[in-house]
Amino acid sequence: MTFRTLGIETSCDETAAAVLVDGNTILSSVVSSQVDLHARFGGVVPEIASRAHVELIVPVVADALVEAGVEGKDIDLVAATSGPGLIGALLVGLSAAKALSLVWDVPFIGVNHLEAHLYASFLEEPDLELPLVVLLVSGGHTMLILMEDHGQYRVLGRTLDDAAGEAFDKVARFLGLGYPGGPAIDLLAMEGDPAAVDFPRAMRRDGLDFSFSGLKTAVVNHVRANPESDPADIAASFQEAVVDVLLTKAQRAIEQEDARGLCLAGGVAANSSLRERALDLSMAGGHQAFLPSRSMCTDNAAMVAAAGWRRFQASGPSPLDLGTDPSLSIFGL
Amino acid sequence: MLILGIETATDQVGCAIGGHEGVLASAHSVRGRQHAETLAPQIDFVRRQARIDLSEISVVAVDLGPGLYTGLRVGVATAISMAYALGVPMIGVSSLDLVAFPVRFSPRLIIATLDARRGEVFYAFYRQVPAGVQRVSEPKVGTPQQAASEIQAEGGECLLVGDGALRYRDHFERDHKVEIVEQGLSHPSAGSLVQLAHARALREEFVNPWELRPLYLRKPDAEINWKTRESQ
Ligand SMILES: [Zn+2]
Repeated sequence: MTFRTLGIETSCDETAAAVLVDGNTILSSVVSSQVDLHARFGGVVPEIASRAHVELIVPVVADALVEAGVEGKDIDLVAATSGPGLIGALLVGLSAAKALSLVWDVPFIGVNHLEAHLYASFLEEPDLELPLVVLLVSGGHTMLILMEDHGQYRVLGRTLDDAAGEAFDKVARFLGLGYPGGPAIDLLAMEGDPAAVDFPRAMRRDGLDFSFSGLKTAVVNHVRANPESDPADIAASFQEAVVDVLLTKAQRAIEQEDARGLCLAGGVAANSSLRERALDLSMAGGHQAFLPSRSMCTDNAAMVAAAGWRRFQASGPSPLDLGTDPSLSIFGL
Repeated sequence: MLILGIETATDQVGCAIGGHEGVLASAHSVRGRQHAETLAPQIDFVRRQARIDLSEISVVAVDLGPGLYTGLRVGVATAISMAYALGVPMIGVSSLDLVAFPVRFSPRLIIATLDARRGEVFYAFYRQVPAGVQRVSEPKVGTPQQAASEIQAEGGECLLVGDGALRYRDHFERDHKVEIVEQGLSHPSAGSLVQLAHARALREEFVNPWELRPLYLRKPDAEINWKTRESQ
């Protein structure tokens, strides 16, 4: 007996749907990015994102079913992100999921977006050993999470101000590299010297929390004081500072919790330097490192289906009157 | 032909099922702005009351707005997803048409109004025709003062309906030729939606679920700010 889950993700600026068999085999994963719609504003505009989700949701779900080679009657569970995220955006996916579950007469389940990111890794590597330290880094989140068991999490550290992805976007915007900032800086940094400028590493020595707002200011000040400096060097040095702080803390978390390994998650986990250095670190430290493929790091619906399937097995469906929770925490699971 | 009507453009969440026999079952509730929580259970309730299976639905009708964005998104996302999953066509009806419809027996100029928040109202003018009402002006968003002066310019006897007129009644009642319809008809009704959609379904004025677009009447703030910045 195969069990098919349709996952839907609309928490930010990607409209995504995916069909998963038994929580581990991806039949289809469709992601429609709205990056172009938001580029001229230098960041995601909630109202524009919400309107785009309304236009894209049906075509994206239809694509996911066609690509999977299944019909509505073949779906056994509909999972959708219920938070955290942008409220207007979340409402579209959640409403669509409930509507589909009503028509197909199958259960519906609301999924925590943060937990979904954790499950992106299990989709590609089902045998990851626990406990695991997850470094979740994206435009909206920067946190170190200890995954003790399935459904059991502890937040070890989080950013006190900007998310790492936000810092990338802001610096890219300042350097005139456009939006989104992550891939642009990643690319430019390859031609630069990461040791060119010694940018500050905030709170590097203590604790597991992060702070990135000072780093952005340091970049701005440095470029204003040295207008002739090479943008590639700036990008490389900035990226080096971010990666250094992220991995220093991740390493500290692994030691402190005696974890079996480190797992990256979230859009910033697609960064080349972060991936390379995380692997180096695991070799040196003797722990596992798991780097999901780049498409699994960024927002997608396969991870939502995976987390939804897991939670449905453990505790059954969500009620149809479930609402969105824009600030849902991973404790709220 | 059975039509499922979904109406969420105001504070109210409404749902109705009906066809050529009229409305078989309907429900409306106003509990803050929790549209996402209320709508799906309400659809399930109404179809049980109507004693039909959702697979018997042959058209999904939805209120397109203008209205509150949060509500509209929930209603439209739900309606298009249901129509897609059922494989049936859709009919979109403006919220202002729905507000004007129940007062169609008045020979006066009818002005449908809905509270647009931010100190503004959505409004449009209607005239009685044999089958109901016909809209005689484009739907607009503006301050109650703007709406009131346009109404005054019309000169004749007017009937104002909708929660916009109730909220800003002081602006409208200065003109003694204006009468405001009291509570009870101030929100679009899902029953009216099914009735209006039925007439249009007979004429096969259908739209596909992936083509249906809500009527926002306002651009996103960011685009407005962007244009201002560009022109400076
Ligand atoms: Zn995410």
